[in-house]
Amino acid sequence: MSDERRSISMSGAGKLSGGDYARVSIAGAGKVDGDLKAEEIRISGAGKVSGKTEATTISVSGSGVFDGSVTADEMAVSGAGRIEGDAKVKEMKCSGSFRVSGNLSSEYVKVSGHIRVGGNLEADIFKASGGFDVEGLLSADKVEIHLGGKCSAREIGGESIHVERGGLREKSILLDGLVRMFWRGAAAELTTTSIEGDEIELEGTTADVVRGKRVVIGPGCHIKTVEYMETLDVHDDAEVEKQTKV
Amino acid sequence: MDEEQLVSKKEVLELAGISYGQLYRWKRKGLIPEAWFIRRSTFTGQETFFPREKILERVARIKDMKDTHPLDDLADVITEQVNAKLQVSLERIRRMKGVDASVLEACDIQAGPKKVLSIQDALCVGAVSRLKPTARAEELDLVQRTLRARVDEALLERITAGRLDLHLLRKRISGGGISAEISLVVIAPADAVFDPDVTTIGRVDLQDLLDRIKLNVAASEEGPGSGRSAPEEER
Repeated sequence: MSDERRSISMSGAGKLSGGDYARVSIAGAGKVDGDLKAEEIRISGAGKVSGKTEATTISVSGSGVFDGSVTADEMAVSGAGRIEGDAKVKEMKCSGSFRVSGNLSSEYVKVSGHIRVGGNLEADIFKASGGFDVEGLLSADKVEIHLGGKCSAREIGGESIHVERGGLREKSILLDGLVRMFWRGAAAELTTTSIEGDEIELEGTTADVVRGKRVVIGPGCHIKTVEYMETLDVHDDAEVEKQTKV
Repeated sequence: MDEEQLVSKKEVLELAGISYGQLYRWKRKGLIPEAWFIRRSTFTGQETFFPREKILERVARIKDMKDTHPLDDLADVITEQVNAKLQVSLERIRRMKGVDASVLEACDIQAGPKKVLSIQDALCVGAVSRLKPTARAEELDLVQRTLRARVDEALLERITAGRLDLHLLRKRISGGGISAEISLVVIAPADAVFDPDVTTIGRVDLQDLLDRIKLNVAASEEGPGSGRSAPEEER
């Protein structure tokens, strides 16, 4: 199949009509009207797509707004990104500030900045060292949270769920500054109504109920009810109102 | 609404011998519909419940097939919009509970090797096998004629999306010393309300039936012998 798709690079202020492209790069202020399909999309200025977006890789280091849904193999947001629809991204890395109004479904999500999801966040692996706010369910086989900001989800469920205080925040001054800018003074803690998993280890977490097979409630936790099937360890510096073996 | 029996998530894990990880994974893959997750507050806080029969049956089927089929394939079978052209092997359908030669005959299906059925035929067989104990022969005929005439792509999509039942009804009309009984077949939501003179003879959950048929199609690649029938039929 011969590839006759065009590559577009916008560096001033411009408008582009949707379509199928090889590469789209927006360095100035660019707007794409309609649905956009491309091998690679790079937004380092201010870019906006008014329709659906489909790409192999998307990188946003400036400000990127996607009014429709987004489907991609890889997406990296180091600036500010916003998706108004649902996002299906196999590998999602967010070191900036990112917002998805719908659901985010993925295989691998890594958050070192801040992510906000209006629906559910689903992944095979979810790793966070920044902050997040998931209004629906956060579900992954492996949930690994190094509390680096204010973290919240309505519910969390998966196979193994680890929450650790004093995050392994990446040693980037810029990133540190960015995270602080957005979340100044916010305590690094996790708040949720319920956590369910097979292996659960928590620190700095406030939850109504934690249900699991093997559960460790570490320092700084406030849990109303823990229901465990096999083992439960509660740290001295943790508060558990009620615990039952089921 | 439904007076379906509910089962808590904890019980599902215990009864089916599965883990939280599996349950959440299957949910993510779309193998367990969002609508089955019923959230209730209990004295221990929020808890999730499921329609008992549906979830236990679904989980058993997934467990059965997950080692031979990738989860994504299973998800395709379950979540895919139904294709009106879907072909179902007769062999498979015969393995469904309650399906015997008399059911096939009532549905006007001639058995033969390698015979394939349309999705409408498969629904007929399923519905007839469930209604057979209570319905009369002419009513079974009405049921299958209804399904064949009325089930098109649009209706299949509605069945996939939400619960629709096939209601078999009887109504007695009397006046002037003459009394007659008529039979009706209605495809409507499970909680449809009828006039007080109507008696419900039987009801078939079409969504559940369609799911079983589609899962049967998926299972058919495993080859004969492994087609274990569902642990429990509905009421």
